[in-house]
Amino acid sequence: MSFFGKFKPGSAQASNAAHATAAKKDPNAPQPTSLEKHLADVTGPTRLDGSDKFFGFENYGSTCYCNSIIQCLYYSAPFREHVLNFPSKPFLDSLADRVAANDQHTNGGPVRPQSSSTTPYPNLASPARKQAPPTSPGGAKPEESKDSPEYRKKMALAAGPVLEMTRDNSQKYGMDESLFTSLKDIFEAILNNPSRIGVVSPHKFLEILRRENEMFRSAMHQDAHEFLNLLLNQVVDNVESFSRQHPALTQQPHANGAAPEKGLAAAMSAAVANAHRRGIQQDQDAHWVHDLFEGTLTSETRCLTCENTSQRDEAFLDLSVDLSPHTSVTSCLRKFSEEEMLCERNKFHCDNCGGLQEAEKRMKIKRLPRILALHLKRFKYTEDLQRLQKLFHRVVYPFHLRLFNTTEDAEDPDRLYELYAVVVHIGGGPYHGHYVSIIKTQDRGWLLFDDELVEPVSRDYVLSFFGGDPVPGVQDARQLACAYVLFYQETTLEAVLKEQEADGHLDQVNTRVSDAETAKDSMSPTKAELLRQTQTVATPLHEEMEDLEPVAHALTAPDMGHSPAPPVRPHFEHMPTTPALSPIMPSKSKKELKAEAKQRKVEEKEKEKAEQARRKEASEKRIAAWKKQDEDYKRVLEESKQTAVEEMKKRGEEPAPASAGEKSGAAAAGGLARFRHGSVSLRGKPKLFGKDKETNGGEKTPSAADDATTEEKKMKNRFSLGRKKSQGLP
Amino acid sequence: MFKIHTLAAATALICDALVRGAPTHDARCPRQSADCWVRRSSVLPPPPRYPNGGFYTGLPAGALLETNNTLDHPTGPEYQLVVGEGTYVLRDDMHLATPPPHPSDAPQPNNNPLAINTGPPTAGTKLSTAVIAPRRPFSQSLFRMTTGQSGRSPIPPSIQEEAQSPKSDTGSIVNGFGSASYYAHMPTFGDNNDALRPAPAKNSKKDQRAKPKNNIVKSNSSYVSRVIPHEALQKRLSDRSPDGLMVFANCNRALMWLDLTSDVKTENMTKILFTKAHVLCHDVNEATKSTAHLDVILGFNTSDIIWYEPISQKYARLNKNGVINPSPISTILWLPHKENYFIAAHMDGTLVVYDKEKEDAEFVPEELNSVENGFENDSPSTKFHIKKSVQSKNQKTNPIAAYQMSNMKINNMAFSPDGQLLAVVCDDGCLTIFDYINERVLDVYRSYYGGMLCVTWSPDGRYVLTGGQDDLVSIWSLVDQALVARCVGHDSWVTDVKFDPWRCDERNYRFGSVGEDCRLLLWDFSVGMLGRPKAMSVRPRTSVSSHFAMNRKESHGRLRSNSNRTQSQADGVDGESTRPQGVHPVDPMRSTAVLPPVMSKVVDTHPLTWLGFEERCIITASKDGRVREWDRPKDSDDRQQSAAGAGDM
Repeated sequence: MSFFGKFKPGSAQASNAAHATAAKKDPNAPQPTSLEKHLADVTGPTRLDGSDKFFGFENYGSTCYCNSIIQCLYYSAPFREHVLNFPSKPFLDSLADRVAANDQHTNGGPVRPQSSSTTPYPNLASPARKQAPPTSPGGAKPEESKDSPEYRKKMALAAGPVLEMTRDNSQKYGMDESLFTSLKDIFEAILNNPSRIGVVSPHKFLEILRRENEMFRSAMHQDAHEFLNLLLNQVVDNVESFSRQHPALTQQPHANGAAPEKGLAAAMSAAVANAHRRGIQQDQDAHWVHDLFEGTLTSETRCLTCENTSQRDEAFLDLSVDLSPHTSVTSCLRKFSEEEMLCERNKFHCDNCGGLQEAEKRMKIKRLPRILALHLKRFKYTEDLQRLQKLFHRVVYPFHLRLFNTTEDAEDPDRLYELYAVVVHIGGGPYHGHYVSIIKTQDRGWLLFDDELVEPVSRDYVLSFFGGDPVPGVQDARQLACAYVLFYQETTLEAVLKEQEADGHLDQVNTRVSDAETAKDSMSPTKAELLRQTQTVATPLHEEMEDLEPVAHALTAPDMGHSPAPPVRPHFEHMPTTPALSPIMPSKSKKELKAEAKQRKVEEKEKEKAEQARRKEASEKRIAAWKKQDEDYKRVLEESKQTAVEEMKKRGEEPAPASAGEKSGAAAAGGLARFRHGSVSLRGKPKLFGKDKETNGGEKTPSAADDATTEEKKMKNRFSLGRKKSQGLP
Repeated sequence: MFKIHTLAAATALICDALVRGAPTHDARCPRQSADCWVRRSSVLPPPPRYPNGGFYTGLPAGALLETNNTLDHPTGPEYQLVVGEGTYVLRDDMHLATPPPHPSDAPQPNNNPLAINTGPPTAGTKLSTAVIAPRRPFSQSLFRMTTGQSGRSPIPPSIQEEAQSPKSDTGSIVNGFGSASYYAHMPTFGDNNDALRPAPAKNSKKDQRAKPKNNIVKSNSSYVSRVIPHEALQKRLSDRSPDGLMVFANCNRALMWLDLTSDVKTENMTKILFTKAHVLCHDVNEATKSTAHLDVILGFNTSDIIWYEPISQKYARLNKNGVINPSPISTILWLPHKENYFIAAHMDGTLVVYDKEKEDAEFVPEELNSVENGFENDSPSTKFHIKKSVQSKNQKTNPIAAYQMSNMKINNMAFSPDGQLLAVVCDDGCLTIFDYINERVLDVYRSYYGGMLCVTWSPDGRYVLTGGQDDLVSIWSLVDQALVARCVGHDSWVTDVKFDPWRCDERNYRFGSVGEDCRLLLWDFSVGMLGRPKAMSVRPRTSVSSHFAMNRKESHGRLRSNSNRTQSQADGVDGESTRPQGVHPVDPMRSTAVLPPVMSKVVDTHPLTWLGFEERCIITASKDGRVREWDRPKDSDDRQQSAAGAGDM
């Protein structure tokens, strides 16, 4: 149980250990939570990409808007990857070299998240924690049901591990302290914690948020959509300002390019993560938020006087749509693009005929975003009440979506989206209430994230927040919960089909689990305990390792493959399999616990081995695929060279064909790696090629890249686009 | 900070505020129904009534709980549907009484807005219609099937013979098609299995059909809460005209048997209240109906099935406690021209065929040997799986057959007019054309996106319509094995779609659709119109009618892409052999013809759940139990009069 010791001061450690042991003996020991049951069949090490971590977020008093949005962003695989991999690994390496003060960083990785805190945070004394629902009102009420969310939140917090995000690591990222760095801190902490479940206490994040944004300073209820927009914009700002400070950064990966390429074959398991990173580096010129969330709207305005049509493009990070009763999001989007008359007070200034004219305007989507954040405008200003009112309109949303309102020249207008997260607002009005999110995880189905609480839910549950006017007299609080922000991510039909088959398996698993539950309920606590044990028991071992070389960072660590030190992550994976280590148990742990753990270890060892072998094979295959891609790409390059002789010459001045091939290899791998996330269709590929060429050009003339950045920056319309209905006024 | 325990109070407050602030249609209802009751109570004995809330209903005291159906006749332009052929006028607006929860199932006030147990599925009101008398042929109206036939002789009987929608087919003796003798030479389900040969009939008289065993009125089953037959049921039955329209309608935990042509149509012929279970779907056997006998099958959200014979008030319960399949039933249909067999679509994606007279037995999927299983390998649906074949020799007990169609919910299904094929639509967005007689999947088509919710066949069996979560009605041509057009016009999910056989002829089709948007949309599509490529269309379409001449078995290939269309047509000419199976790709929107509606109107305040076309009217039914009958346009003189009349009012 020394695990807790790492996070908490001595006294807390003791009490926690005591708590843990007490929990085991107590006949009223906490029943396994539904999440624990849900994860009961998970074995093996945690994944490298953080997709199998399920952490709740502590509520600091009306901070549910923040918790729900961060969860939605965390479970967007590409977003998470980008956050974890920015700034690029080579940059961090060079930074670490420069920071002579911290020697230990050179062998492991410079970044050690706050959570594994060297400085204990007086967490239990924190005023914030006292405010938190689990400890205060809930604890005060003895009659509280064990099924109540308050109680379960309290238990989640008690069970931990709690990641206290109290310090800031920005200097280790070579960045100024910002919302982005604290968001990255949170992601890193979740990723690096060996437990699969736990609670994040996003103290620092809120501190920065409140410091920088007056709007969020009060303890009042805030709008989750506004927060999403602010967060995305700030991340853009932070990332861009960093890129401005380090204009040469984009070159760095290419300079290092050759070495990792060779290292690939050697470091098998590292290769996957490595390739990921390399792919991401290609667009590390601070555009990745745009690449994920940004789409382009074209507003076509037709002057009714001169019949001249003018077009204007606007970028958006999310779309806000008006709601009407008994509609679908499809229809809301269609309405969004319906023609609108510009007349009376809202006339259009026509450049062609000069002066204000009546005009028809409509907005269509020209470039589809990879992640479509759809904000349902449930809070509407009502004239007679002089305030915002919540619209309970029933608006249905399907699991999959395509956009009808695209322009004729839009690329890939039939792009398929899948719903991956729903932010639900609970409450009667805009000034109070609660936000939770329901998110589809990579292979654990849909989970409900309600602050500290994480619970598995059925697929049907996801579609139970359509809204609908509350029926008078029916005392069902569910009527107050309506979907507020929907996150749709790009997918392909093939991926959907694959998932549909897998879904069936998952359902079977679920029924099996629940069967087992009902059949031998007395057994299940131990089972669940076992789940947690595997994590906790294994922890000390990892921790020892961490002291030597922070495992934590291994993930995001640069390609260590070519450095003499062995890659750290594999260590982590091999760890439990090392037989010599298994008897070394923390002296604190109970004998039975030991025995269980031992047996578990043996089982795990075997699985590990099989897994390892499988992984090796897979990664070999992947590498082969990459090589093939590489070759293909080289061939394409050759062809393109023939056609573009001039460029060829320019290229010739540089290390030329070899390095070009190298780079292209990285690009191809990047393409593949992205594809692996399941969120990018292959259609993105040609674009990627183009982009690669651009980067090649930009490389020679850093100023060009710079220009691009500034140009990007100039894009004023980063704010979400809502439709301003001019004639809508009553 | 947000406190969950204050929510209940908040709910109540908001609800009150909503009612007071904005008097909705709902708020008006109690008054109306009260009026109705007062009027009626002077003539009839006081109807049975539940306490006015408070006791166990969970409703606040004072809220009027209606136990009688109410009838209204609203007039005005908002109750008229203006289409090319004239104006449909709302004649009757019947609100079925939603029963309060059973005392043992009183709703607990729920203070948890995120409560995870969403409870068993429920469904809005759907109707099953029954007309005892043979229906007049459609040729009396616009439908000219008989005249059109000569010109279309090359069409194989399989699509030619049936001119009517599945619901209204049997009993009509048009051209002799519907009759049993005609089907004698058609393959039917389970033909080749001796184990399914009916035992020599005990009661040789044709009219004495087998009845279920238990009397539902006297039943002491805890599954059935109460049965309220009409006092003068026998008299009403004997007095009524056999061509009158009877319906069975589900509403919450009630099932109502109504005579829509009766003067006292609001009075249920019989009303059955189940304790907790909701009827989600029901069907009347067209092959066995007579003035003395109706076979009705009911599928429940508890997975149970009840075979109900309303005239003798007998019933039998099948799949009791989910012994064969434990998941709720979304659609249930009698097999065409079969007296005993019906098929239930369970929500776990399984289709199960039952015999109404066989006993349940615990069901273990039967392993098929590889020979029988062979075609599964090249089946277009990897999810399709035979759990029990109709050829199984073990036919002493239910089920007769079972098929895994999908691992997601089956939402609806429909038999082709000739009874040879079954179209199944699922939550996974697939339309599966299932040759259930030969137990093979022929085609799988995919929605533009989202689940498919409803399906129907054109009266001639050439087209299948689906509606779903993409807000579209999609027209699929089975002859071409391709998407013909997408119908854009709904503002929300499409919940039901039907052809109007009275307004279909060999070239023009009329169909309607209803949806979550409370709208009824009417659509016309003509073969010629669709033959022309859309302005933007990438895929050049030759006239669809030219394909009619082709044998159905001829292959047009899989329309994988635009480029191979001509190729596949060529294949079709010489490749006589087999019809290709396939999962068909999703057509891009730009290359697909888009059909606009000819009429679109909000016809209810609640999402609509059912649509039916009858000779005299269009019927819509909604989630809260409102059944509306829209009279077809009368002759032009009448129409003017009625329009003037409406104006006066």
